[in-house]
Amino acid sequence: MRKRLFVVLCLSLLVLASSVLAFAADPGFVNGRFTTTRKITVEVYDRSNPGGSTPEDNFWTDFIKKGMLEKYNVEVEFKPVPRWTEVEVINNLLAAGDAPDVCVTYSYPTIQTYANMGGVLDLAPYLEEYREYLPNLFDLLGETNIYWNQDPNTGTVWAIEALLFQNKKINTFVREDWLKKLGLEEPRTMEEFENMLRAFRDNAELLLGPDADKMIPFSLSFDVGWRADHVIMSYVPNDMSDRDMWVYGFDDRHLLWPNYKEGVRKLNQWYNEGLIWKDFPLYGAGDRTEDNLIKAGYVGSFIHNWDYPYRDGQEGIHAQLRNMVGEDAAFIAVECFPNDAGIYRKYLSAPVDRKVFFPATNKEPLASLLYLDFISSLEVRRFLQIGEEGVHHIVHEDGAVEMLPVVGEKIMNSPANIDYTITINGLDLGDPVLTARSIALNYAGVEAKYIERAYQITSNEARYGINVQVGEIKAQEGMDTALAEKRNNLLAQAIVAKPEDFDTVWDRGFNDYLRSGGQAIIDERAQKYDAMYGN
Amino acid sequence: MKGRLTINRRRVINYLRKYWSLYVMLSIPIAYFIIFRYIPMTYIQIAFKRYSIVQSPWEMPWAGDNGFEYFIKAFRNLDFLYALRNTLLLNFLDLIMGFPAPIILALLLNELAFPRFKRLTQSVAYLPHFLSWIIIAGLAKQLFAPTSGLINIFLNRLGFQSIPFLNDPTHWVFTYVFLGIWRNVGWNTIIYLAALTNINPELYEASAIDGANRWQNIWYITLPGLRPTIFTLLILSLGNILSSEFDRPYALSNPLVNSVSNVISIFVYRYGIRGLQFSLTTAVGLFQSVVCVIFLVAANALAKRFGERGIW
Repeated sequence: MRKRLFVVLCLSLLVLASSVLAFAADPGFVNGRFTTTRKITVEVYDRSNPGGSTPEDNFWTDFIKKGMLEKYNVEVEFKPVPRWTEVEVINNLLAAGDAPDVCVTYSYPTIQTYANMGGVLDLAPYLEEYREYLPNLFDLLGETNIYWNQDPNTGTVWAIEALLFQNKKINTFVREDWLKKLGLEEPRTMEEFENMLRAFRDNAELLLGPDADKMIPFSLSFDVGWRADHVIMSYVPNDMSDRDMWVYGFDDRHLLWPNYKEGVRKLNQWYNEGLIWKDFPLYGAGDRTEDNLIKAGYVGSFIHNWDYPYRDGQEGIHAQLRNMVGEDAAFIAVECFPNDAGIYRKYLSAPVDRKVFFPATNKEPLASLLYLDFISSLEVRRFLQIGEEGVHHIVHEDGAVEMLPVVGEKIMNSPANIDYTITINGLDLGDPVLTARSIALNYAGVEAKYIERAYQITSNEARYGINVQVGEIKAQEGMDTALAEKRNNLLAQAIVAKPEDFDTVWDRGFNDYLRSGGQAIIDERAQKYDAMYGN
Repeated sequence: MKGRLTINRRRVINYLRKYWSLYVMLSIPIAYFIIFRYIPMTYIQIAFKRYSIVQSPWEMPWAGDNGFEYFIKAFRNLDFLYALRNTLLLNFLDLIMGFPAPIILALLLNELAFPRFKRLTQSVAYLPHFLSWIIIAGLAKQLFAPTSGLINIFLNRLGFQSIPFLNDPTHWVFTYVFLGIWRNVGWNTIIYLAALTNINPELYEASAIDGANRWQNIWYITLPGLRPTIFTLLILSLGNILSSEFDRPYALSNPLVNSVSNVISIFVYRYGIRGLQFSLTTAVGLFQSVVCVIFLVAANALAKRFGERGIW
């Protein structure tokens, strides 16, 4: 009897112990290093830049691979994913069970949908268990970004938010040399901007000579919400509440914010006056047709990422424009769309950037977290961002870092290698003053004055997004891409409509958007927001 | 009785001994169909179940409404109804304009007197078939874009307005159909040209003696000779009335013509692959296949009633 009791006791202890051990630290991890070599795969964006290197195998990946192997005994393999279709591609990879161990995307709803099907690892227990091994990650992102997506009801963390170190979005750019040629002041109001566009159109002969028929006063792409953001946002009332901002803010181009329609009406007017590129809806994501028109010097103004014309060194817009048009040709950032309160309001996101997550197929959560810690250490990310002295940069007397144009195998495929520093977006040298000074010098071949100005006004008078966590919005599941596409269609169709048809086209498309799931999402968000925060 | 059985068995054994190699060869395509066509069909049940990426389809829980939840959801979805309408519209136009085109081209080629010129024309007509739709869409933008397209630049120089080939829904439909014909017409003549060589030359000799002209030759000899082929191909195309290509409408589409270019395959891609709603889109796919089978069977029955052989 006693013997049997003993056996039973031993067995139950064993079961208990093993159930505790099931989540105990990886036994192969001793003194901060794996005893046997582990393997992980990591997603990297592929931008297919002209003159760029292979994103999954180059100077930078070699550096990371070597570092991870030496420090943790982890072998890293990179998997390229096209930057401009990343959501589609990562979806395909996830559906096929082929996703890399460390995934990165800008689309949280994709992660959420996938998590609901059991396809994503909950990071909460791992972060707790291994926190002591992740000092750099916690230092860089802080609890705020790491637990940003924690569900208030269940405590799950499906993804970590990378840090948006320079919270910069877009700028309005105009051709500085054209303003001079026409004797125009820099526009400061909507009216002045419009008049400038008309002046470009009417003086095409003077500005472009034999290519006058190629004149594009304002250029746009199929992604109207992004590429006309400043124009449209100037119609959004300044006193919009935080609640409205969040409840109606699930569309990442803010289609549902109050008065959006009036901003689009303005674009419709411009289109019908011949101020907007007629072919804009025809070219899809990643197409370089528009860039080439800008580089060729046919475009007078556009809205795009805050440093867009200054990127990519010798292959970029700034350098190419000078080659094709002349030494004085350049784009300059301007601020010309005040809102109803007279404020040049920029609506910026909260300081979050890409979302890093591990799919359920990840069998190495510790090695993957260590990878994130590794690339988050100041030393490593500093090297990834600025490279080797004398090759990628020179150090000025005041310590500021100036980047050099690099071609060949050591080229950076993205500014400051953001595709490899997936936990941070934006240059960080560890000292804010030094960083700011360096950024202005950071664009090879572009004078500091252009950058300083773009850097300053892009976030001037900004309003930042807030973190609202009310748990999952069920109505939003799986709807994101379909609705985003509807939005793009609606915007393009409304802009090219005849002015007298504008309201009809808008209302039809907008109602379709609401009926196809938009309204259900609004209702659920409003209800959950009010339940959590009170109305 | 017993004797007959042994004879039969011996016959079977002899037969197998003689022809076993044919059966071995046949087993390869049969295995192909079982592995790649029939086994995947078991996943059709996803349409009636709540999909989960981590469970096998056999373990997934049944969907609501007796398993028909996703079919009901699809038919309540406006985008699906538009996609259904557009698929039928584009396929129907393809059929009435695209179906006669290769027959006419084949007749024309058949009438050519110089064999060398005929062969050259044939090859030139085949070539577009080997271009992918992505490339054709790129060419289409270069040619048809409103301001930078070659044809519109030419029209503008002559003082005409641009024609919105790609950016107006009605024009786009015709561009779509035209590009489809351009790509496939040459390729589709192959089967007709083969059928033409099967027509007995003595018929033409006899008609020449009777003094028939070319037109009468075509009308009374060539076309009746082609009739069975035409019917077979027509039945097969009717079976495809609800099937939809993906790359052709997707590559040619843009935000302005979405109201006509959004077809079922694009709907499935957008909601299924991008939106991860696999059950919904499997339901749509199943519906599509069932309708196609119904059309195929009906067309075949109709053809038989008209005295044709049908396809089975």
